[in-house]
Amino acid sequence: MSSSSADAVARRIVDVSADCGISLVASLPDGWITSLITQYASDARFRHVSVNREESAIGLCSGAFFSGIGTFALMGASGFLTCIYAITKINYTYQIPLLIGITLRGRPGDRAKFHQSNGLYLESVIQAIDIPFVTIEKADDIPRLATAYQHSRTLSRPVVVGFTREVLRGEA
Amino acid sequence: MNFEACFRLLADRLKDEIIVTSAGNSSELWWDITGETERVFYLEASMSLASVFAAGIALGTKRTVVAFNGDGAFCMNPGMLIVERQLALPNLKHFVIANGVYGSTNDLGHPFAELMDYAAVAKAAGVERVYEFSTLEGLGQGLDDMIKVPGHAFAVLHVDPLGRHLPSPPLDGPEVKFRFGRYLERTGGAPIFDAPLHPK
Repeated sequence: MSSSSADAVARRIVDVSADCGISLVASLPDGWITSLITQYASDARFRHVSVNREESAIGLCSGAFFSGIGTFALMGASGFLTCIYAITKINYTYQIPLLIGITLRGRPGDRAKFHQSNGLYLESVIQAIDIPFVTIEKADDIPRLATAYQHSRTLSRPVVVGFTREVLRGEA
Repeated sequence: MNFEACFRLLADRLKDEIIVTSAGNSSELWWDITGETERVFYLEASMSLASVFAAGIALGTKRTVVAFNGDGAFCMNPGMLIVERQLALPNLKHFVIANGVYGSTNDLGHPFAELMDYAAVAKAAGVERVYEFSTLEGLGQGLDDMIKVPGHAFAVLHVDPLGRHLPSPPLDGPEVKFRFGRYLERTGGAPIFDAPLHPK
């Protein structure tokens, strides 16, 4: 991986986000998305908010729906798993759309042992609560983020986009 | 101070603000007193996210947004204050109802109010305008300063447990969403829904 290729991918994700109407990004980092978060934070097209915990991103972005602001809650896989209650209670009960971006930790190739539980259970949990799940596995998939954003609004429920390690490193 | 009297005073004085209530007593009591269905978002089962949800609303309006949390919710997520402090929204006003019980679960007591100084926590988080109200007279005198003066503000309402169970607002989630959202659109807010109710 070169930092320039990872930065180029991050820039493309940021550009697609802006073009589809996202202007508020609430995040808590994962090691795979530090470049992406840095780019959102330094781009004047966005208001970036560093949240104290991932559930706060769900709360803030859900409230911002009523400001007419396009939002993106960005977090790691483990953080996402802490948000199940907030998503099912707030977004499902009130039918509030929300685009959530996560890292697909624990897939083959991720050598972090403490993330292997995500490889085992993350996608099963996503399926269990019926959130539409869009994977972004190569650079050509990045426009799917805009499609997922619009689908969330059409569905009036959250949609999750999952980024692989390879795409975020600019290797796919 | 008496919880119901406190909320009656607030409901009487907060006529123009956008209101976000949280799980349990704040939603039930506001509904019981006002019966309002438009400018209030009854965020039941909020589990400590009422004030950050309100912050999201406040991002897009110049109107004042008032959020209520119970102290059980506050202790679940005191880090909410760090997010609020970072946003520093001049139109966000956050009340914590300090009654030492979980009002939504039969007033089951918790020890947090005795162990922790909520106002001091807010000050330590960098919130500059922090209030504590223990009497109706004090609340009546200090409320305008908290609400009308621009600037993020946080207040602790020291009240007694409600001591009775009230029904939840009889509104399903989507009804809350559409009543609230259409109200904001109709009263000068930004478009929220993709399809306007009355296309021009």
